[in-house]
Amino acid sequence: MPKAQRIPMARQPSAVATAKGQVQPGPKWAGRAVATAARNLARSGWLLRGATGAAALVPVVALAGILAVLAERAWPAIVYNGLGFFTHVAWDPGSSYGNPVRTGGALHQAGATFGALPLILGTLGSSAIAIVVAVPVSVGAALVVVEKLPPRMANVLGLFLEVLAGIPSVVFGLWGALSFGPLIARDLAPLVARHVPDLPVLNFFRGSTGNGEGLLTAGLVLAVMVVPIVASTTRDLLRQVPALPKEGARALGLSDWEVSRLVSLPWARSGIIGASLLGLARALGETMAVAMVSGAFLGANPSNIYLPFTTIAATIVSQLDSAFTDGTGFYVRALAEAALVLAVITLVANVAARLLVRKAGGVALPVGRGI
Amino acid sequence: MSPALASTPTTPAQWPEAVDLTTRPVALRTCDLTLGFGSRTVLQGVNLGFPKGTVTALIGPTGSGKTTLLRSLNRMNDKVPKHWHQGDVLLDGQSIFAPGVQLMALRRRVGMVFQRPNPFPMSIADNVLAGVKAHRIASRQHHKAIVKARLSEVGLLDAVSDRLGSSPFTLSGGQQQLLCLARALAVGPDVLLLDEPTSSLDPISTEHIESLLRALVPALTIVIVTHNLAQARRVADQTAFFYQGRLVEAAPTARLFEEPSEPETARYVSGRMG
Repeated sequence: MPKAQRIPMARQPSAVATAKGQVQPGPKWAGRAVATAARNLARSGWLLRGATGAAALVPVVALAGILAVLAERAWPAIVYNGLGFFTHVAWDPGSSYGNPVRTGGALHQAGATFGALPLILGTLGSSAIAIVVAVPVSVGAALVVVEKLPPRMANVLGLFLEVLAGIPSVVFGLWGALSFGPLIARDLAPLVARHVPDLPVLNFFRGSTGNGEGLLTAGLVLAVMVVPIVASTTRDLLRQVPALPKEGARALGLSDWEVSRLVSLPWARSGIIGASLLGLARALGETMAVAMVSGAFLGANPSNIYLPFTTIAATIVSQLDSAFTDGTGFYVRALAEAALVLAVITLVANVAARLLVRKAGGVALPVGRGI
Repeated sequence: MSPALASTPTTPAQWPEAVDLTTRPVALRTCDLTLGFGSRTVLQGVNLGFPKGTVTALIGPTGSGKTTLLRSLNRMNDKVPKHWHQGDVLLDGQSIFAPGVQLMALRRRVGMVFQRPNPFPMSIADNVLAGVKAHRIASRQHHKAIVKARLSEVGLLDAVSDRLGSSPFTLSGGQQQLLCLARALAVGPDVLLLDEPTSSLDPISTEHIESLLRALVPALTIVIVTHNLAQARRVADQTAFFYQGRLVEAAPTARLFEEPSEPETARYVSGRMG
């Protein structure tokens, strides 16, 4: 660095001050490098400001841009389908053998009908099953890890959770389709279906149990995928609960379970709600695993919880290929409308998460910690 | 705060009247208690009786083992890794380490208040009721009365009566500590252990809590760890001096401060060692 060598000696730090305030003798080149870097940084301040400002805009532009493109693509379908998109169950891209028809300016295949009600219900239903199963399991696991297990075992279990979270969803899907689904269809579902009381309100839990591809299987596979997210977040939250109130509860003669229920869980409550909604968002948008175990049943609602169904995400991924073969391009527009609905559902879940977390900061939460 | 509680005893004449400790039955006694963590011995052969209905202060420099002793009186050390002990602690003549002893029942009888206030993340009323509910001490219709009685016992009711359902974390440190005291009293303990309960509080709250402790005896037996020698003189009937894990001397408070029999005690209470 010939330029750096011309800096007057006085400006060259030949020693590096550490955080503790001690001065350590550093090699001469290190001092020069620090000086050069500092000079360059000062000179390129505008560049840094510009770059970080642009980076800060990326999320805004990305969200607005994606929604805008989807809306633009979907607009003819939105007009054509109307509210029927949310109330009809029939899903038919129309006959590609006849001549395309023009309705209100949009060209589409004859007989095209897009009722997305089963997709929307399937998305919400499978995610609801996942959350109902995963949250209690996750919170229980986190409590055991934090309060009961010796540190070494807790670390091993934590490692498993993190590895589980990192497994690609296609692997979960294959496992669900090959092993878990058939297990449910062969063993669990018939047992449950037989013992559900014969009441009309419970009819959704009775009846034919199918081949293992269905709503229950998808919900449970999703639950397995959601558990690591909720459990590892909850575990970190529970570790942050201060020891003093827990000790106070123990000193009062409360059992371990009561200490968890009265002190640890309330302390972490808003965070656990947030983690659960994070898991919900994951379940709502999960595509591949659901597509592999859903049975891809389009055009009607399943008549019970064991039977094939589909979700918005699974339908988009499984129908996109054939949609591209629609010469009128209308099928793709219908899928774009479905994608828009999915985006709105997840946005609503996110906003609800934030509102809930804010609301949970009421009575019980520490405003100022301790004293 | 009532006017009676507002005056602090400042001269020796106002210090607690000497109680004849020898004639009182002992509520709690340590018998040759030696304990430690791992390879470290924290307490060495402690023999100390806590007479029923009196206040005993444990004093000594930092690291002398007084807090460890206090915590072993309701087995709060059990959960500390590598904890071990020899000897025994007798509560009304019964070992607290005996196999049949229910830890939760023991801690109901031997309550504890900590160095810093530690309210639970629930409403003020629920804080008072936490132990009452857990031990099923009273039925639901009595809960409200219990909350009011216990809060007024510690002199906190007037300050919080209009916000019993709100968070305790909006209270001042002193008020939070009073709430913790009310919570500990609500389960009806026989013995109350206090670990430097006023060290994080302002002088007025400190004075209030000290007066309260005097009002709680002789119904309760109180053991208080304190670094504040003046506090020990103000509240304690008996004072025990610990140094390097050993009980050096235990005596009626006035005698320990004025005529200590051990040279180490004399050095500590006169301020030459701290």
